[in-house]
Amino acid sequence: MMTSQSTIPATKGSFADGMRLPRTVKVRGLNHYFGDGELRKQALFNNHLEVRRGEIVIMTGPSGSGKTTLLTLIGTLRTVQEGSLNVLGNELLGASTDLIVRIRREMGFIFQAHNLFESLTAYQNVNMAAELLKIDPMIADGRIKSLLTRLGLGERIHYKPKSLSGGQKQRVAIARGLVHKPKLILADEPTAALDEKSGREVVTLFQELARDEGCTIIMVTHDNRILDVADRIVNMVDGYITSDVDVQEASVICEFLMEIPLFSDLNADSLSKIADQMMVHEAREGDRVIRQGDPGDLFYLIRSGSVDVIVDDGDQSTKVAELRQGQYFGEAALIHDEPRNASIVAREDSVFYALEKVDFRDVLEKSATFEQQLRQALFNRQ
Amino acid sequence: MKLFGKTPLAWKNLTHDWRRLAVAIAGIGFAVLLMFTQVGFQNALFDSQAKLIDDLQGEIFIVSKAKFTLAAEKRFPINRLMQAQSVPGVSGAYPIYSELTTSVLRKIERGIGNRGFPIRSIGFEPGDPIFQVDAINDQVQQLRQPGTALIDRKSKKKKFVFPRDDDVKLAEQNLELAGKKLQLVGTFELGTDFAHDGNLVMSADSFADYYPHRKRFGDPLSVIDIGVVHLTDGADLNSTRDLLEQTLTKDVDVLTRDEFRAAEVGFWDESTPIGTVFLFGKIIGFIVGMVICYQVIYSDIADHMPEFATLKAMGYPSLYFVRLIVVEALLLAVIGFIPGTAVSRALYGWLAGQTGLLMNMTVDGVLFVLVATIAMCIASGMLALRKLLAADPASLF
Repeated sequence: MMTSQSTIPATKGSFADGMRLPRTVKVRGLNHYFGDGELRKQALFNNHLEVRRGEIVIMTGPSGSGKTTLLTLIGTLRTVQEGSLNVLGNELLGASTDLIVRIRREMGFIFQAHNLFESLTAYQNVNMAAELLKIDPMIADGRIKSLLTRLGLGERIHYKPKSLSGGQKQRVAIARGLVHKPKLILADEPTAALDEKSGREVVTLFQELARDEGCTIIMVTHDNRILDVADRIVNMVDGYITSDVDVQEASVICEFLMEIPLFSDLNADSLSKIADQMMVHEAREGDRVIRQGDPGDLFYLIRSGSVDVIVDDGDQSTKVAELRQGQYFGEAALIHDEPRNASIVAREDSVFYALEKVDFRDVLEKSATFEQQLRQALFNRQ
Repeated sequence: MKLFGKTPLAWKNLTHDWRRLAVAIAGIGFAVLLMFTQVGFQNALFDSQAKLIDDLQGEIFIVSKAKFTLAAEKRFPINRLMQAQSVPGVSGAYPIYSELTTSVLRKIERGIGNRGFPIRSIGFEPGDPIFQVDAINDQVQQLRQPGTALIDRKSKKKKFVFPRDDDVKLAEQNLELAGKKLQLVGTFELGTDFAHDGNLVMSADSFADYYPHRKRFGDPLSVIDIGVVHLTDGADLNSTRDLLEQTLTKDVDVLTRDEFRAAEVGFWDESTPIGTVFLFGKIIGFIVGMVICYQVIYSDIADHMPEFATLKAMGYPSLYFVRLIVVEALLLAVIGFIPGTAVSRALYGWLAGQTGLLMNMTVDGVLFVLVATIAMCIASGMLALRKLLAADPASLF
C-alpha cells in the first residue's frame, strides 16, 4: 500500500533531484495578526515555505496579500507571534534582541525607498554597512568601489544623494545591501526605479551572488522583466501562500508530461496547470502502489525510481511491464470509471506525482484536442 | 578619501543643513547667554555685597557672633582687639566703626532740609592700615579735621545729590549728618549694595561726635563693628586664626578673608530670596536651551526616520543610537557654547559700563555654564532618543 499520502504539491520541488543544499529559511505554520482585541485581524494564515541556500525566490501577489508581512517577518523586522520561523539556522519565535541584531548583520536589505543619508556621500552610505561588520577598511574600500563601479556609479562614488538621480540612489542602496556579503538578501521591488539595463545588471549581480557566494535572495517584485532569474516563484493571496513553485521542477514535470502522448498537444500554460495540481506520493521498495481490482482515483507520473506492472488473471501474477522515470500509469481506470486493471509495485524507493481523478477529468473536459488524443491513444492500444 | 575611524554620522547630519545648524547655534547660544546673564548678575551683586571686605586690608577679621551680615548693627567690645594683639603672629588689630540706621544725611537748601536718607558711615582711626583704597588713604589728613568726611562717589544719585567731580563745590555743600553739620572734603569709590545706598568715611573722633549714643553708657568708640587683624611676616594664617579663636571670648567670630567673604555672600545667597531668584533665572535659561536643543535633535531624528530605521534593519544596536545622540548633543553644546560665550562677554562689558556692576566672567562661571549647557543638550538628546528608538524598520517595506 501507499506509505505516504502527502499533500505536498509536486511543483514545490521538495523531491527534485540534484544536490540538496541546506535550508536558509524554514517557515512552518506561521500565523500573523495585526491590531489588538476587537480590531485584531489575521494577516497570515498557516504559511509554510522552505527556501534553500542559493535560491532566488520571487514573491508575487496583489497588495495586501501578506507578502510584505512575510518578508518583514523573515527579515526579523517584525516579531514572530505564532508558528515557527527559522532563518539562517536561528529560530525567530521568542528570539532575544541580541540574537536578532546578530541575524540582521548576516542579511542585506534593499528597500523600495533608497533611505540614504543625505549628509553622506554614496561611498559613505555604503560604508555604513561595511563598518558595522568591522570589515577591514582596505578590503571594504575595494569592495565598495568595485560594487559602485559595477552598478554604473564609478564616476559618482563621492557624490551626495542630492546630486544623484532616483535610479542612481537606488543602486547605491543596493550596493549598501550587498557590500557585507550577506547570506540572505531581502529586497522589495529592487528594480522598480531602474531602467531596463541597470535592472538587468542588478539581477545579474544577484545571480552571481547566489551562484558564487551561496547567497539566498528573496524579493517581492512585480517586474516581469526579471522573472527569468527566479528559482522559485511564490504567490500569495489573502494571507495564504497559494502557490510555491520550483521553476526548475515545474519545467521538468512539464517536459515529462509533454512526452506523454495524452498531453503532447497541450500548450505550456495547460501543462503547468496540470503540474500545479499534482501531489507528491512516496513509495518504498516493494510497496504496492495500485492493487488490481481497486477503484481508480489517481493518475501517476514517475518522478524517480521504477515500478513493475503486474497483471493477476486469477491463477497467477504476470509481470507485464517495467516503468521508470518520466513514464506514467493509472490513466485507464480514471477514463472508464473501471477498477484497476493491473497492480503496480515499486521496484525501489520511488517518488510519484499524482493527479486526482477530478482534476484529470477536468483537464480532459476542457481540452477537446486532449479528448481526441486520448481516444486515439486508447484506440491504438486495442 | 581615507576615512579615519568610523563615518562621523552625528557631525555630518548636524552640519549637512547649514540653515538648520545656524538656527541651532543661535538657539543654544541664546540659552548660554541667558545663563551667563544670570550668573553674571548674581556674581556682580554678590561681589557688590562683599566689596567693602575686598577693599579692606588685613588677613583676619573679627566680628560679633550676632553679626550675620555687614548690614547687621551688632558690635563687640574693643577689649577683644586688645586681646587679639597679644596673640603671637598678630602684628596689629584695628577697629572699624559703622552706623547705618541713625546715619541720615540731609541736604540743607535755603535753610530747609530735605527728608534725608540713610547712608553708611564708616569710622576708623586715621593712620590705621584699614583700607586698600588709595583715594581714602591719600585723603586721611583732611579727615583729621572734626566734622569732615569723604563721600562715596557711587552713592545713589537720586538720594544723594552732590557734585561728584569737583571737591571745591563739594565742600560748599550744606549738609547735616545725624542732625549735625557735616563737611565733605573729598570722594572715594566703594559702591552700593542691597543694604547700603551710599557710604561716608570719617575719622573715629568725628564718628564719636555724630553717634555718641551708640553705646548707652560710656565711650561710643568702646564698641566696634569689625576688627581688622594684620599678621606678622611669616605667621601662618590658619593657625593664627585658630589661636585667636581660642584666645578670644566666645562672643566673636574670627574669620579669614575668604571665610568672611563667603559668609557675607552666603547670607545673601541663602537667607534672602536673591539666590532663589537667580537660581530660577538659571533654570529658565536651562529649560529654554533644552527646548531648543530638543527641537533641533528631534527634527533631525524625525527627518531621518527611514534612514535610522534602515540602520536598525542592518543590525545597528540601540547602543549605537544612544552614542550617536550623545555625540550630537555634545557637538551642539560646544558649537552653541562658543558663540554664546563670546556674545555674553561683550554683553558683560556693555552692562558693566552701563550699571557700574562688577560683571566679571570668572572661570567658575564659565565652567558652570559649560557644564549646564552640556547637561541641557544631553538631557534633551535623551528625551528625543525615545523617538529614535521607536523607529520601526518594519515600516520600511
